[in-house]
Amino acid sequence: MKDDKIDILLAEMIGRKDGMTVPDGYFSDFAARMDSMLPDRVTENHPAVRTRWQMIRPYAYLAAMFAGIWCMLQMFHMIGGGAHGIMSPDTNPILAEAISDDTFMDDYYCMDVDELDFIDDLYASGLDVTNL
Amino acid sequence: MEQLTRRLQDSATARMAFNEVITLYSEPLYWQIRRMVQNHDDANDLLQNVFMKAWTNIESFRGDAKLTTWLYKIAINESLTFLEKERKRLGVSMDEEASMLANTIEADEWIDGDELKKELRKVIAALPEKQRLVFNMKYFDDMKYESISDILGTSVGALKASYHHAVNKIVKYFSEKS
Repeated sequence: MKDDKIDILLAEMIGRKDGMTVPDGYFSDFAARMDSMLPDRVTENHPAVRTRWQMIRPYAYLAAMFAGIWCMLQMFHMIGGGAHGIMSPDTNPILAEAISDDTFMDDYYCMDVDELDFIDDLYASGLDVTNL
Repeated sequence: MEQLTRRLQDSATARMAFNEVITLYSEPLYWQIRRMVQNHDDANDLLQNVFMKAWTNIESFRGDAKLTTWLYKIAINESLTFLEKERKRLGVSMDEEASMLANTIEADEWIDGDELKKELRKVIAALPEKQRLVFNMKYFDDMKYESISDILGTSVGALKASYHHAVNKIVKYFSEKS
């Protein structure tokens, strides 16, 4: 059965009222009763009071930023820059010793390995590079 | 309506505009709540809660949604929360809610005394919550599916199916009885 028809059938059977009632004058009094119950709305606009921290905060952030940049530059300078950096053999005895050691430099630092020499070495040691 | 919404958002005119809202919507919202909770006193308390919540949150109402939709949503939410609390208080499961509401209907003093109407209320109370909401809005308040869809956040197709099931159950009950 279509919804409209069944709806009409139901309306004929039971009507459109459900038998509920309210006390006399309930709705006419409700608005006034409700109004007396509603709290006042907080509408006043408080003037913005700035604390001392809020006033100095932008300058503090600016100072922190410059301090950070200064620290970063110092670190770069310390690591790699200039004659007094920690990576300078003039001021770092361990580094100076390592550089003066030819074996160390050959093993760990010198990168001028010739590929053909390397393959020759492999042939010489009996290793067939075609199987690699 | 747009003008009323604008006045609600202006703190200088909000109070007076809200009084108009109460006058306009207290009755339809009351019946919506009453049909869910059945008892007048509970419906009255919940209606007051609805307007109190609407008033305290009026700033969050930005006019994107319709005012009626917003108020109905609060009312339905209040009703369902109340029923859930009652079920917990009485130690009643969701399936036993119908008998809980039947007792409320029997004890309700604000009725016109017609036994058929009382029976109708009990049959509606036995419907699942969603079907009950849809049936009440469509059958008694003659609301459009689109409006109900906005309030309940359910598709029109699903609402039509819910209403169809609800009406069929009620017709079947009264057909078998007669």
